[in-house]
Amino acid sequence: MKMTFNDFIKKVFFVEIAKGLALTMKELFTPAVTRQYPKEKRNPFPGARALHALVRSDVTGEAKCVGCGLCAAVCPSKCIHIYTTEGSDTMKVVNRYEIDVLRCVFCAFCVEACPFGAIALTDHFEYSGYSREEFHYTKERLLENWDKYMAGDKGKIYFERFWGPKEKDIAHSKPSVAAGGGA
Amino acid sequence: MTIEKTEANGRLKAEELTLNMGPQHPATHGVLRLVLELDGETVVKCTPHIGYLHRGVEKLSEHSTYFQVLPLTDRLDYISSMSNNIGYCTAVERLFGIEAPERALYIRTMTGEMARILSHLLWLATHALDIGAMTVFLYCFREREKLVDLFERLCGARLTVTYPRIGGVKNDVTDEWLDSLFEFTEEFPGRIAEYETLIDRNRIWLQRTKGIGVISAEEAVNRGLSGPTLRGSGVAYDVRKYMPYGVYDRLEWEVPIGKNGDVYDRYRVRMEEFRQSNSIIRQCIERIPSGPILADEPKFVLPAKERVLNDMEHLVQQFILMTKGPQTAPKGDVYVATEVPKGELGYYIISDGTGKPYRMRVRAPSFVHVAALPGLCEGNLIADVIANIGSIDIVLGECDR
Ligand code: SF4
Ligand code: SF4
Repeated sequence: MKMTFNDFIKKVFFVEIAKGLALTMKELFTPAVTRQYPKEKRNPFPGARALHALVRSDVTGEAKCVGCGLCAAVCPSKCIHIYTTEGSDTMKVVNRYEIDVLRCVFCAFCVEACPFGAIALTDHFEYSGYSREEFHYTKERLLENWDKYMAGDKGKIYFERFWGPKEKDIAHSKPSVAAGGGA
Repeated sequence: MTIEKTEANGRLKAEELTLNMGPQHPATHGVLRLVLELDGETVVKCTPHIGYLHRGVEKLSEHSTYFQVLPLTDRLDYISSMSNNIGYCTAVERLFGIEAPERALYIRTMTGEMARILSHLLWLATHALDIGAMTVFLYCFREREKLVDLFERLCGARLTVTYPRIGGVKNDVTDEWLDSLFEFTEEFPGRIAEYETLIDRNRIWLQRTKGIGVISAEEAVNRGLSGPTLRGSGVAYDVRKYMPYGVYDRLEWEVPIGKNGDVYDRYRVRMEEFRQSNSIIRQCIERIPSGPILADEPKFVLPAKERVLNDMEHLVQQFILMTKGPQTAPKGDVYVATEVPKGELGYYIISDGTGKPYRMRVRAPSFVHVAALPGLCEGNLIADVIANIGSIDIVLGECDR
């Protein structure tokens, strides 16, 4: 193949490599984009889907869940287990509500399905443990999660995101804090 | 080459060496196992073994309602889960005979192109890393991070999004979100230029990619290749142009094609697709109409949450759709193909009228592309195997299903 003079010069003086190196040199003086993870953390955006929580009702102080079983039915990985009995006043009583978090795929279908707004996915993603049992969340532990990670305004914002009107007119309405806001 | 003394004449006898590449090899992009027979450095025979990531997605979906299949499709090509979701939802919508509203179609087109950029970024990063260009890897992840952040803001998940729904999408996009996406599209072309500065003319890159793994246009078509792998050979076939879905037929964009069908041309095609996707996203942001994001089809589409809370009919409908699936699904079958970053992803769904698919077959581009691998590798050097695997852009989650 014939080489023009220009190509020859480029080849001899490593022009393309020099250009590449100039770029990497330039990047050397721009601020770093990486984060030193365990020390520097970025808060998840509102509505991030991570560890589950059962919503504690403001009125009764108990779980809002009535044990209808819709979340267990819709769960694609079948990791929600609900055991109910009939209480004294013929009301349904939720005896046990358990989530096997290791099986969960965090699709948030349980939240979408629940007709009472009784279950939520918190944004707490840093949970780890040494045994399988630690990932078997019982009703008490799930309620605890709510107190720890979602109580107060955070829970409200979260539910606005999942329950807010879907048919929002973007041209005429202000974006909600929940969906658009940064960390 | 194993060498042993033979026969009477005392000459050395040489035979082929069998080398096992994978399933845990970093350059096989997942759990692909290649059994290579080598003569020196030349590959004589290449046999791909697949199935290490088989999770039975097709069989599982026969036991799940149409709604529950959605998270399964996320895990096919987990790098661009959004595209898989969109393909599945489009297929089911066509089966049910419903249509997603305009705004939802725009959002899908937009997010689908974001997924394409994400997937191509990861492809460029790992492909370059395999060939020896470390810096590009880091730069690509910088841009990827911005896009997955946008996904997280939109739907709460970064990788396996489960965002589209049958009949629309889950959450509406906000003005702020669109602004951030627009900002990204402003700066992204500059970034593409940066990647090109690093490798496009680099002599090592050129030597590793030009004239390597050549597939002629005819052979590419015969082998059933699709996506950038096919277009690199000069065949301008793109599902988005030929069987449009979403709003692709209303936007202006081009199908970039290559000429020689080698690794370098496939790389060029994907780099051009970055620009096209970027321009598609910008057009979507400019033209997105206001309106509902879920179709008003009570028999098939989940009712809006506030309605479920407030009236009985919608509550009952929610229960039925969630537990049993739609009860009035038409009988019949449907094949819908969509253009995902890897190629043509098709869903063939047979419905027997119940709430669960009778059979769902996934036509995965990676599966077809792996089958083309022996043809590319045999007769070439072992180092080119790596370049070839990278250039056909496979993901094994989709191949093994
Ligand atoms: S997030 Fe999905 S997989 Fe996890 S418990 Fe809820 S429905 Fe089941
Ligand atoms: S769907 Fe809601 S109310 Fe019903 S069992 Fe699940 S968490 Fe409880």
